[in-house]
Amino acid sequence: MPRISVFARLANGAVAPKRVIEGQTTKLSRTMHGIAYDEVNDEIIIPVALGGALLAFKGDATGETPPLRVIQGTRTRMVRPQTVAVDPRNNEIITADPSMRALLVFDRRADGNVAPKRVISGAKTGLLDIVGVAVDPVRNVIVASSRKGREGPTGLFVFDRLADGDVPPLRFIGGPASKLAHFRQVAIDPGTGNIFLAQQNTRQKRPEAYVLDKRRADFKEDEDDEEGGGALDRMGFIAVYAPGDGGDLPPRAIVKGPGIRHAGAGGVALNPKKGEVIAVGGNGFSTFLLPDFFHDLVKRPTTAPHGARDR
Amino acid sequence: MLSRGAPLILSATTLSLLFVAGRQVDPSTARPPSPATIPFIEPLPADCVDDGAQQPPQFIEGGVITEDWPPGAIGGLIDPIRSVSDPFPTFDGLALDPVNDRVIFSDENRHSLLVYDRTAGGFEDDPTEPAQVVFGPKSKLGYIAGVEVDPARKEFYTVNNDGGDRMVVFAYGDHGNVAPRRTLLLPHQSWDVSLAPERDEIAVSVQQSNAVSVFRRGAAGGDGPLRTIRGLTTELEDPHGLYFDERHGEIITANHGNWTQIRPYTPYDPIATDLEYKSGSFHAASLTFHAATASGDVAPLRTIEGPGTGLNWPMGIDVDLSRDEIAVANYGDNSIRIFPRGERGDVVPLRVIRGPRTLIVGPVSVAIDVKNDEIWVANYGDHTAVVFPRTATGNVKPTRIIRNAPKDAATCGFTNASAAAYDSKRDEILVPN
Repeated sequence: MPRISVFARLANGAVAPKRVIEGQTTKLSRTMHGIAYDEVNDEIIIPVALGGALLAFKGDATGETPPLRVIQGTRTRMVRPQTVAVDPRNNEIITADPSMRALLVFDRRADGNVAPKRVISGAKTGLLDIVGVAVDPVRNVIVASSRKGREGPTGLFVFDRLADGDVPPLRFIGGPASKLAHFRQVAIDPGTGNIFLAQQNTRQKRPEAYVLDKRRADFKEDEDDEEGGGALDRMGFIAVYAPGDGGDLPPRAIVKGPGIRHAGAGGVALNPKKGEVIAVGGNGFSTFLLPDFFHDLVKRPTTAPHGARDR
Repeated sequence: MLSRGAPLILSATTLSLLFVAGRQVDPSTARPPSPATIPFIEPLPADCVDDGAQQPPQFIEGGVITEDWPPGAIGGLIDPIRSVSDPFPTFDGLALDPVNDRVIFSDENRHSLLVYDRTAGGFEDDPTEPAQVVFGPKSKLGYIAGVEVDPARKEFYTVNNDGGDRMVVFAYGDHGNVAPRRTLLLPHQSWDVSLAPERDEIAVSVQQSNAVSVFRRGAAGGDGPLRTIRGLTTELEDPHGLYFDERHGEIITANHGNWTQIRPYTPYDPIATDLEYKSGSFHAASLTFHAATASGDVAPLRTIEGPGTGLNWPMGIDVDLSRDEIAVANYGDNSIRIFPRGERGDVVPLRVIRGPRTLIVGPVSVAIDVKNDEIWVANYGDHTAVVFPRTATGNVKPTRIIRNAPKDAATCGFTNASAAAYDSKRDEILVPN
């Protein structure tokens, strides 16, 4: 169901949400693979994939409430925005649209048929199936997670925050050693700049049988195509990188194993004040208490392997 | 082995190494190197180059659970301090078989199909035990939505709306972790399925491509559709519930009203450059009626749409051919709305079942039983299905309740949630579906 459910942070077990935003007037649709809370302006920002739109709601919205603002129309260049980040410091909203193969930056206060301020898209960017985005206004970067087939660059793309057009990323994290494959949402801890990524599975995302309403010519049915985790050893995790990381690196910090299985890790949210990482996936979410993950991951005392990549 | 192209390749690789260590990389042309290779920035003499060394490192799945990966990382195998999930099924799709006295529900939460005796239910607080449950990895049940039943063949179908992209077919008697009798690959985000036994066809609604595809009834594997209704003229906009009305030669579809120009979007599709850009749009919720033989970008024969209809995220639909009425599970206002089938425009419903006494909470599907004079409603909003007299109206009590969880069990309401945000002002966690 295309709803936004709101839970108490301390909710545990089989618990109903405290409030739900849903209904025709909300303009929500399915495939909301990103959400941002703007704590400065107390607003919720959400993409509407099936309506080619971005919506802003009041922070305390509940029930069938209309959005405060709607960004939609021919000037927006949006087709199917899936995920979103908000930068209250610079008054910007960044969305990732995998159908347009683009990151689009809008004025945070934009309403209606408004053109993006900047668009990061094109062959040099390496972006294709962009499924996650986060912004760090302190270090002035936008971080996107994007996937490209079995051979293409699949991983985290770090761009200058003001990048515009067909530009290469400043840094790229991905490759066999990273085990990045089938991931989604990205989050950044504003205090440290640490980058958190929710990965659902270490298998590459499988091709779909259809391209729109036409059968994919080279499609081969995979008998073992479970996306939600499958075997424990290839199931997803929460990966954490330091702000300057680039290359084919394994994560500096990780949550994995049976504890993550329940959530599947399609989404990740942070509560730095309490040292908590919230992993969302499948039909549930789990909260992990990880204060170490909100420290400087480069300077921490460590054993040999990580020393090689400190810079 | 020597390679004449090797020095050039190595130079390109070297260049990318420099960028990785410095400012920019070009991920479209070079796989980033491992940290261990970064110091090697000088090209090797051509006679020292091994072709094998130029191959990108192989991606190896798995290997996650071992203690030594990632090397030296903090964290690891950690249990959550809190978890929120629903251990019980949720009812989504509903199909009624008055011939064999069965009713079948799809369970999107636990990924199961639950088959009950048609007379099951009552007013007990305990869960109602199904006669048959299909559940487990062999079943290939993912985030399933619509259900259909073929009483003559004693088969039932469901559609994986997410996490599987296929229709799966089971038979009465299938129980437990069993493989489907047959499967049919479908477009991603297929939602409902409706059977036309005389035409020997099935119709499937597809959300993201705003389409209805018609297949041969026994289609399996990679069989393609016989025809597809799709395009701006069709007025199909985020289609959900579907009814193949053979008697009147129509396909009826319930639409949420969202529209966007779907383009190839997967990691395996190139950037689409040959499409004229059309922006997304929001429309009113509607019921569209297309000719059963419609194909391509064709207009509906008529629509039911407008403020008088009260349509609000219409989900599953069913048709009462004896009364010439359409029943709509109107999720957005917790109601069942009954419309005259042949009308068009801003039609006021003939009857509305709604109110606290009805126990209708987030209805996703509805089924009419002409033989036994009943109407069934599957609630997503709590763990129940409720049954009324066929012509019930207003704020009326159901005649019986089918529970898939103990009375008052909480419903979390997740549907393949894949994102979250933390609201620091209210100390809350936001989870969209």
